[in-house]
Amino acid sequence: MITNFQLTIKNHNLLFLIPIFLLVFLMHACAPEPTQTQEPAGEQERRGELRVALQPIVQTDPAFISSDPEIMIASSVYDYLVDITPQNTIAPRLAREWTVSEDGKVYVFSLIENATFHDGTLFTADDVVWTFDRLRDPDVDSPTKDLYSNIESIEATDQFEVTFKLKESNPFFLYDLSDNHALMLKANTPEPINDFMGTGPFKLVSYSPEDRLVVEANENYFLRDRPSLEKIDFIFFNDQTAQVEALRSGQVDLVMLISADLFNTLQGEPGLIPLEAATNSFDLVRLRADRSPGDDPRLMQALRLATDRQAIFDLVLQGYGALGKDTPIGPMYSQYFSKDLQTPERDIEAAKQLLSEAGYPEGIDLVLHTPDTGNRPNLAVVLKDQWAEAGINVEVKVEPESVYYGDDGWLAVDLGITGWGSRPYPQFYLDTMLVCGANWNESHFCDDEFDRLASLAGTTLNEDERVEAYNQIQALLVERGPTMIPYFFSQLGAISDKFTNFQMKPFPGRSDLSTVRLADQ
Amino acid sequence: MASLSKLTDSSLGVVPTWWRRLSLFLQQLFGRPVSATGTTITLLFLLLAIIGPLIAPYDANEIIPADARQAPSAEHWFGTDNLGRDVFSRVLLGAREILVLAGFGTLLAVVVGTFFGLITGYRGGWFDEITMRTFDSLLALPALLLALLLLGTVGNSRYSVLIVIVVVYTPIVARVVRSVVLAVKPQGFVEAASLGGETRSRILLREILPSVLPTLSVESAMRFSYAIFLVASLGFLGVGVQPPSPNWGLMVKEARAYANLIPWALFFPALAISVVVIGVNLMADGLKRIMSADEVN
Repeated sequence: MITNFQLTIKNHNLLFLIPIFLLVFLMHACAPEPTQTQEPAGEQERRGELRVALQPIVQTDPAFISSDPEIMIASSVYDYLVDITPQNTIAPRLAREWTVSEDGKVYVFSLIENATFHDGTLFTADDVVWTFDRLRDPDVDSPTKDLYSNIESIEATDQFEVTFKLKESNPFFLYDLSDNHALMLKANTPEPINDFMGTGPFKLVSYSPEDRLVVEANENYFLRDRPSLEKIDFIFFNDQTAQVEALRSGQVDLVMLISADLFNTLQGEPGLIPLEAATNSFDLVRLRADRSPGDDPRLMQALRLATDRQAIFDLVLQGYGALGKDTPIGPMYSQYFSKDLQTPERDIEAAKQLLSEAGYPEGIDLVLHTPDTGNRPNLAVVLKDQWAEAGINVEVKVEPESVYYGDDGWLAVDLGITGWGSRPYPQFYLDTMLVCGANWNESHFCDDEFDRLASLAGTTLNEDERVEAYNQIQALLVERGPTMIPYFFSQLGAISDKFTNFQMKPFPGRSDLSTVRLADQ
Repeated sequence: MASLSKLTDSSLGVVPTWWRRLSLFLQQLFGRPVSATGTTITLLFLLLAIIGPLIAPYDANEIIPADARQAPSAEHWFGTDNLGRDVFSRVLLGAREILVLAGFGTLLAVVVGTFFGLITGYRGGWFDEITMRTFDSLLALPALLLALLLLGTVGNSRYSVLIVIVVVYTPIVARVVRSVVLAVKPQGFVEAASLGGETRSRILLREILPSVLPTLSVESAMRFSYAIFLVASLGFLGVGVQPPSPNWGLMVKEARAYANLIPWALFFPALAISVVVIGVNLMADGLKRIMSADEVN
């Protein structure tokens, strides 16, 4: 109702409604949901130009974006139905509120009623239906088509109401809706790749590929107190070191996704605020479990026993992150993470013993594949050094990331390191990485008990049951899983102290730039 | 166009022993301070490549977590890198890594290049045409681009780098050798040998090859310095040799990210590359001067 009044005022300027507006305003001041601030608080002055250093973007169609910079730019121009907060909870965005049926299969969303696209068109339920139909269309072949395969139907049940019906109950459905790709497009957009036509807080001004993309504040944004900034320049740099130097010399105001070493060089730099966000991003060391030599789980156990996690954590991460326990369910998921679970201490003799039991009394030669990005080459080199003591001789093969992931080498090799990004809920990793036959099951792991527990955790509406299932999954993976996860790394960045109110999210590309404002404002 | 041996024969009037020739050569090489410096540097690095493992205080890949990122000190002369490896030991052991790879590659390229140069220059005809046009097409590509293309095809390993050096430098050596052969071929002593019924291989090896040797030695030294640079460049680009090899180029690449924090891990391998390349170049320059002085004489 609140938004109906707003529309009326805005469109027809009916002055006699002012007393009612005042009443609504008072009601709203007492409302429990501050994120739903809808009052037309008068046009506040928008000031300041934020210059963000990003790696160049390639993809601009929201259905196919994948890198942090692509997602950051797209989510400035478009909006999600529901968003993720820096604390990993669900927050309303274009969906004002929602109800869930008792069996967990029907979700009804009420939409914001005064949101408009940058061309002035009103945002309605039809746009939601069109966008999600596109995201799950096998012909479009977006990476989300599997994620949304559980949706039976999407209907516009009113101009501002959408109903999703699911085939199976899915306790994480709201998280699925907040997926990086699920940005709302205008219905029947002919070429989403060239469009940049969203409801988002910023409008496109200019884009010159490989150089920069400039956006300005959307004066008609449905959240009237946002954005605070007048303009954002996304400036593209290929090189992380160059980004940091540009920040140091005042040519840009914000950098993200930088290495611990570069981050350390920024400590104590006047005029800069360091940013650190705990995440569930990790580097995975995995051994193919479906063929020799990895089909003997004792080999993976020997690798784990030969590893000194604390030394890796200190050397490679320099303390920015958390120790891992070999399962993708990290400490960030505090309600699901098994705190009491013990990973083995380094024990070279025990590792040698296991190796000889597995048939390698003289040690074993392996090739360790790793992409050339992040801390992965360093991790490989440290593992090589640590494992050598136990007679595990590793030849490191560093490959360009685009080649390693591009031609599916990462799914084929026996022993490899893979970087996995942070997700707001753990089920994603189980379903895509460890369930038998999953698309990205790079270790080719197949375990009936695991599959049963993963399916239970992913469908039950009983939270206690889910916690118990996740606990059992973690114990199972430590006992006979094909993976070793030595650490979860923090995301690091820095922002100029001329700006305030920026909160970096665990997935830095999802950080909300509409809240950022000049520090003196 | 006479060779070193023929010149000394005629100018001294006696047939000198190999020792007299060598001492004369060394006198000339060390007579100029610049050439002497270059030769000394080259020999020093070759010596390090041989005895490096005996004098290196640590293993090249030994990770000492407690010592990570330390500045140069009595314990770690060149400091330690981001993973706690001793930079001095890595630079020292890297000498063998880089010189053996570059040296062996150059040697192969010189042998293969000389073979093709001799045959094409002496025989001419369709074999010459086909071989030289093939080599021309290889030379049309910049060396580094050709190297990257080859490594993309044969995969990353030490042997691939060796193949790359041979493929990149064989055409250059072959061209140089061929040009000398073409100049020597019409001369009297070659014709005399030919008329005297010598076999073709004997003429090539006994009559023509000695005339090629002076130019070839200069060319080999030049190729050697380029090969060192190529191996380091490929390491820097992250292709070819794989971590944790103490390849100087790879060390520079790895240390680049930490340049502000631990500059010594970047400086010393970069210094080693520069010094050895300059050294070999100065030596090659000295050789060239001696050879051309001989020619003038």
